[in-house]
Amino acid sequence: MSKQGYKTFKGGIHPPYNKELASGKAITQVPIPSELVIPLNQHIGAPNSPLVSPGERVTVGQKIGETDAFVSAPVHASVAGTVKAVEDIKNFTGQIVKSVIIEADPQQPAFEAKQTKPLAELSADEIRQIAREAGLTGMGGAAFPTHVKLTPPKDKPVDTVIINACECEPFLTCDHRLMLERPSDLVEGLKLFIKAVGAEKGIVGIEANKMDAVEKVRSAASAETTIEVEILDVKYPEGSEKQLISAVTGRKVPPGKLPSEVGCLVQNVGTAIALFEAASTGKPLYERVLTVTGQGIKEPSNFLVKVGTPISALIDAAGGLTGGPAKLIMGGPMTGWAQEEPTASVVKGTSGVLALPAELVDVREEHACVRCTKCVEACPMYLMPNYIVEAAQKEDWRKAELWGAVDCFECGCCSYTCPAYIPHVSYVRKAKAEIAAMKKR
Amino acid sequence: MANSKFVATVSPHLHERGQTISRGMTDVLVALTPIAIWGIIVFGFNAFYVMAVSIITAMLSEVVMRWIMGRKATLVDMSAFLSGLFLALILPVTTPLWVVAIGAFLAVGVGKELFGGLGKNIFNPALFGRVALMISPLWLYTTKFVKPFYWKASGFFTPIHASINNAVAGRVTYKGITGKVYVDVVTHATPMSLLKSGRMLSATVTGPTPVGATYITGAGRPSFWSMFFGLKSGCIGEVSVFLLIIGACWLLYRKTIDWRIPAGVLGGALLIFLVTWNNPLYQMVGGGLWLGAFYMATDWVTSPMTRRTKWIYGIGIGVTVALIRLISPLPEGVAIAILNWNVITLLLDRYVAEPKFGEVKKPLFNKLPAIAKAPKPAQGKT
Repeated sequence: MSKQGYKTFKGGIHPPYNKELASGKAITQVPIPSELVIPLNQHIGAPNSPLVSPGERVTVGQKIGETDAFVSAPVHASVAGTVKAVEDIKNFTGQIVKSVIIEADPQQPAFEAKQTKPLAELSADEIRQIAREAGLTGMGGAAFPTHVKLTPPKDKPVDTVIINACECEPFLTCDHRLMLERPSDLVEGLKLFIKAVGAEKGIVGIEANKMDAVEKVRSAASAETTIEVEILDVKYPEGSEKQLISAVTGRKVPPGKLPSEVGCLVQNVGTAIALFEAASTGKPLYERVLTVTGQGIKEPSNFLVKVGTPISALIDAAGGLTGGPAKLIMGGPMTGWAQEEPTASVVKGTSGVLALPAELVDVREEHACVRCTKCVEACPMYLMPNYIVEAAQKEDWRKAELWGAVDCFECGCCSYTCPAYIPHVSYVRKAKAEIAAMKKR
Repeated sequence: MANSKFVATVSPHLHERGQTISRGMTDVLVALTPIAIWGIIVFGFNAFYVMAVSIITAMLSEVVMRWIMGRKATLVDMSAFLSGLFLALILPVTTPLWVVAIGAFLAVGVGKELFGGLGKNIFNPALFGRVALMISPLWLYTTKFVKPFYWKASGFFTPIHASINNAVAGRVTYKGITGKVYVDVVTHATPMSLLKSGRMLSATVTGPTPVGATYITGAGRPSFWSMFFGLKSGCIGEVSVFLLIIGACWLLYRKTIDWRIPAGVLGGALLIFLVTWNNPLYQMVGGGLWLGAFYMATDWVTSPMTRRTKWIYGIGIGVTVALIRLISPLPEGVAIAILNWNVITLLLDRYVAEPKFGEVKKPLFNKLPAIAKAPKPAQGKT
């Protein structure tokens, strides 16, 4: 037990949360931009090939990219309109990805709900099929295809489904809003997950700074005997998969293994609601709720956004920038990607757009490590971040692996608390790539 | 506005407010201030001169050494200032100022900068300087201890050499070399050397009764409580265990130091003193044990990083200190014990494994992962 009195994990940090900027704002629609850029690769796994060509008409929810590979998720058109081009475009991480540019019609038809089976009659295989067809991916940031997660190895039965409702990233409030506004959809989605993997129970893990959401979800799930809500300490990264499992169930996923190793499945709030939508109306994942926030945004808001919308349109919808923000981030402030220009488009895994003012951007020259141990204490994986950095600087990749570079999930706690301002995460990424190359040889 | 370029760096994009190297150094400085002031009160204004010379030389050595090696100046991180102050605190007040200056250069110029600067030094710089003086021909200058409040006789601001000269009782010529013979007022034995000589030679100190000396017990040693509050002879900063504990509380509160290391040092030493039953409580408040445990052994750069290794390191220092005091001919061994374990730190970190998250079995020693000899069984997703 911890100081706050709820379940939690060992390690981690307490950054300033700044959630109050947007947590009170109800989810609203943003105007559809005239042109959308939809990357064909928005997930971890095999790349999709385009199903449309320039000049072709597309409707809302039409599949525009797909591949036969198992670890993949198809991509759908988010608006009705005309395909202007299919070309290579830089995405938010700076990678070049084949993308479909769609010119949106001025008049947008509503999505036509399809006839579907009642939810109670769906079988596990059908739920997996729905998840695959709807192009569901994890919506917390990593964007791992959902149907793959729903297919655990035969010898590793899953008994607990955990909904990751921690939203431990500072600033972001989209999951919080979803829980407040659509708690019953979340519970329905969780029930589908439970059925798909044949689990015994579902747990919604919510951080203690969202007690209103706890109440809402509890009352929505009051009729369900298999679903409970667990309140967790406010700590970063409470919402990391392994840390969440350990906090909620006390089980620890071994290094290099998946949650199914300890009989768990973790899904994001947004993903659960998207699965419910897909199962009940046949609606694929082409829009999502995200938070546009930060002290550099005039009116921080929670928006329902079509995939492919450029960041600049979101900033305009939120009243524009204020006070010359110094940093523009796609995602949360701890793991998100800094953008040089507001041109990248929203993908399935985008949980927020953040504009930070200069006083919050503390970028300094890196000093040599002074071995203060703060990174080791903060590391939720109990690695040795400073030694990974040292090994990476010496290009000794075996050492980097020894100190745990491969087990790092890049939460950034080490850099956050580092008095020497060492960018551990960039060294870790380098080390991971080199170790993977070394293993292949 | 929306068209201007933004700063693009790797995540995370937040940094803990005020968490800088100089913050940690300033914390230590705050903790040391009462100790330094008490040192000046007990040992007269000469203690201030020692501190000033040590700090200024330390900072100058850093600037000059970094300039010679073409590195950027790093005075703002306060570490040179701190090393200088630390060195002054572990020298007796009688140390001639030129010896102090040499010590400060050895500490920062050699012990820190020649090893690569802050973060790369293997040894605690202040201890390095102190022990370098101790094992050099200059050692004689660093072993003259005065009794507390010696300045009552000669005046608070009287330079130390005047005090010493006044205390010369006579001169001895032996084989052509003339040496001064002091009265006990100046070269006062420390409690630790008394304990040592008292045990080994079963003799007590003779000489004139020290001025206003209610703190001396029958055996010629200060009482436990005068030891605890700092009425004893010794180095400038080590005398008041009470003030050292107060400063340590501040450092622990600020999380600048880890409690495991001092707990290990004190626990390890106490264990040996208890087992051998050699004035255990008295030994605990004597010498530089507390200064070493809370301020020297906890030095970020030269102490290990994981919980296990911190315990090993702390207890190791404690046991070594006790053994040096009990077995070796030296009266005190905190500096040497810590320097020894500074070296072992690197081995501890490298070979004593701490289990990763979710790791059940862990080999006793950290082994490097094998490269591509035998294909490893697939581990999860790639």
